[in-house]
Amino acid sequence: MTANRHGSAVVELPDDLSVLITREFDAPIALVFDVLTKPEHVSKWISPHGCKTKECSIDLRVGGNYHYSFVTESGTECSFRGTYLQVEPPIRTVETWVFEGRPHLPAVETVELREAGGVTTLTNRMTYRDKASRDEEIQHAQGGQDGVGESLDQLEDLLRSLLDPAGR
Amino acid sequence: MSISEYDGWVARASTTSDVFNAIAEADRREILDVLMTGEMAVGAIVSDLSMSQPQVSKHLRVLSEVGLVRCRADGRHRLYRLEPARLRPLHDWLAKYEQMWNARLDRMDDYLQELQQQGEPQ
Repeated sequence: MTANRHGSAVVELPDDLSVLITREFDAPIALVFDVLTKPEHVSKWISPHGCKTKECSIDLRVGGNYHYSFVTESGTECSFRGTYLQVEPPIRTVETWVFEGRPHLPAVETVELREAGGVTTLTNRMTYRDKASRDEEIQHAQGGQDGVGESLDQLEDLLRSLLDPAGR
Repeated sequence: MSISEYDGWVARASTTSDVFNAIAEADRREILDVLMTGEMAVGAIVSDLSMSQPQVSKHLRVLSEVGLVRCRADGRHRLYRLEPARLRPLHDWLAKYEQMWNARLDRMDDYLQELQQQGEPQ
């Protein structure tokens, strides 16, 4: 069977604090949930191309921690961690989320799945502490454009691996 | 980074966010959708949507303030039209972020397909 690619993710800003990402997958909900929550699966896709997964540990229970990190070709380590607040297989997890490169921008991530007709829809809602934090996180994805400054250039280098995994 | 750079950066983010605020409201997005079909008077927008005239007027005021709609007088009517160029910075602002998510979810999608082609391991 040939699976269909269900287009690209839809990114919305449903309110002042959140970013909502929606994407469909041609796969049953249980498999999508496993691929999102089992380290042996997550480690296979979480790292951008050209980056090497270093850590991938997931303690999938309320109060359990997860940590994953990868190393870019230039040797920069990108590390993400958090704690599960809700775990309801296969439809929902809620967890704290922090990228150690920007520890001042923690978020709460809500991942929800629903399946209809063999297609599983993933919604990922990132909720930041305040609007400024949310906007800053999105702004970071712009990298150092418009001469914002050297530290953002460095950040851009770091982010480039995330933004543009294929080309270097 | 220096404080001045930081200020400019925050200012730019918040300017763009005014447009964000304006379209964060579902009713206002509906109004923008209706205006995509062309220039319209308030009455026509009201009859297209299940909103009261005062509600629509209030939303149009917000949309005008951030430049997403323009208004002109035509006799007794005020006609509103969409200013699509104002959506551009919003689009650009989100585009890179969207790319990042797409790259990540593409990898996940590829992996899911790979797993299924192998015939669903356990």
